Amino acid sequence: MTLLVELSLRDLVRDWVRFLGNVAVMAGVIVPLLVLFGVRNGVYDALIGRLLDNPATLQIDTRGNSSFTEADAELVRGWPETAFVTLKTRSLFDYVNVRARGGNTIREAVAAPTGDGDPMLAPQSGLKPGEAAVSAALAGQLGLAVGQEIDIVTQAPERPRQLVLGARVGLILPEERASGRVILTELALLDLIEAFYDEYALPDHGITAGKPLAGRVADFEGLRAYAGRLETLAPLQARIEAQFGIATEAATAQVAAVLGLGRNLGLALALTATVAAAGLAAALVFSFWAEVARKRRMIATLGLIGLDHRLIALFPVIQAAVTALAGLALSFALFGVAAMVAERLFETGLTEAGGLVRLSLAQALMISLGVFAFVLTASLAAARGALATDPAVVLRDDA
Amino acid sequence: MMPALVAHDLTVTVTDRDRRFALQVPLLRIARGEAVGLTGASGTGKTMLLEILGLLRRPAPGGRYVVSDDDGPGRDLAALWGAAGGRAQLTRARGRLFGFVPQTGGLLAFLTVRQNVMLSQRISDRIDGAHVDALLSRLGLEAVAGMRTDGLSIGQRQRVAIARALAHRPRFVIADEPTAALDPEAAQDAMGLLIAAAADHASSVLISSHDRDLLGRFALTRYHLQARTEGAQVTSTLQPARTE
Repeated sequence: MTLLVELSLRDLVRDWVRFLGNVAVMAGVIVPLLVLFGVRNGVYDALIGRLLDNPATLQIDTRGNSSFTEADAELVRGWPETAFVTLKTRSLFDYVNVRARGGNTIREAVAAPTGDGDPMLAPQSGLKPGEAAVSAALAGQLGLAVGQEIDIVTQAPERPRQLVLGARVGLILPEERASGRVILTELALLDLIEAFYDEYALPDHGITAGKPLAGRVADFEGLRAYAGRLETLAPLQARIEAQFGIATEAATAQVAAVLGLGRNLGLALALTATVAAAGLAAALVFSFWAEVARKRRMIATLGLIGLDHRLIALFPVIQAAVTALAGLALSFALFGVAAMVAERLFETGLTEAGGLVRLSLAQALMISLGVFAFVLTASLAAARGALATDPAVVLRDDA
Repeated sequence: MMPALVAHDLTVTVTDRDRRFALQVPLLRIARGEAVGLTGASGTGKTMLLEILGLLRRPAPGGRYVVSDDDGPGRDLAALWGAAGGRAQLTRARGRLFGFVPQTGGLLAFLTVRQNVMLSQRISDRIDGAHVDALLSRLGLEAVAGMRTDGLSIGQRQRVAIARALAHRPRFVIADEPTAALDPEAAQDAMGLLIAAAADHASSVLISSHDRDLLGRFALTRYHLQARTEGAQVTSTLQPARTE
């Protein structure tokens, strides 16, 4: 085997023009495909990344007034498409006033329920009891910091006293996640506010007048759910609408457009790759086969002097393997140059992680293995030709 | 003394449309170290006979082709054609038992002269660098040992082929028109070297040539292929040549 490898390599070196020709053919096909694949990755990943940067992309909100219970939320929570779900109080009571404990400045903010696993709180998994998350804008206007005590103040027209509920800042949401003045609290706190508006007595919070709270049945106007993945957003939305017979709002169309773009880019790339691969296969098969035909006498000589025919069949396969390695090395080198030029030309800044043309190590390895197997397969016809070469032609051709 | 090679009743028949050619070998005996000359007109099957003897062509069933060790029992090489794994066994036997000198060298152009000569040793696993050096010296190839063969004259290439054929110390050397491409002086020189070098190694040598005059200048056992035509059937039979 060592002898055969040595002979194959020596022959390849001597025939370096043909060798470089095959390597160039490979690179000519592979490099454009790599660039296309890299661009597809870069553009698609950037679009997907932008979508995933905003948790609201995966958010589904029920539209209008409906009636939900904790059992409904539990049902949705159990679906595989669901990452998080919470009940919502009536949107009429979404606005609260917030101030730092002991502070003079008070600001109106939109209040929304949250809970453990809420993507809005990521990477934090949730808030501790008694904590609230405030938007950067609200924190800035009130001078709030994490750990600071705040008062959530509600005033209802028919109630002589304000409802003041205490909380502690557990998280300040980044600007891009929550714009304007927003406060996220546990659902129970918002439910108290709703009960306050509904004129229930809340003696624990200093509201003694009103209907007894014990007679109140908790009922919620809506649901806010998050899909686990972009691909499950549309199915989850459809499932919620079908289950409860309601309309919902979500960025489904936008997500579907990006996913569709990715699919279409993938299909276009697959089609291009298939056509290119067919051309490359034809070029390599004929090249390797023609080479064996051209070297028939040399191959026959090896058989004549006693080299096993099975080893001789490997002669073109070894040369194909070396050609594949060289072709891949050249292709990736040229791809690197092309990617660099593309970045310089377009300066896309599509993502923080990388630019227009992206290829992961795992993808590069898979492509390399695929190309290697492809080229070796292309050499099988030549191997068959070598195997069929009759050693007697060395004598017969002369006769 | 027991012959190193005995072939008897070997036949091969080839058909091309309505034409039929049959080669018959009633008896061929070659002793160890014996030099044998094979003559015959063009188309009488000289190369075909060498192919049979070199395990390159399958003879028809019924004949025997026995190669014997010095004192050991003979081995019927014709039986290898039908044996399991026969092709590999035939290749192995061919590599170890035979050396070949084709008409035009059959050298590998990407190897040097020395590497070409060593090739038969490496394939048959009989590496002996000193023997290669001795052969190169004996055949006057020392000065070109490091050169690629495509830079050599035809005469030099034939000498390289002779060296390669002998490098792994084969029992037999089969030379098919080894001097056909050479001028008369170089032909005599190459033929002399081939016969002498084979004798040095006690290898039997079988040389086919259409040049009876050339063969006549050396002490060879001579065989001749005589063809007989009957309609579309040509039958060529090997027979000991008459002394001329």
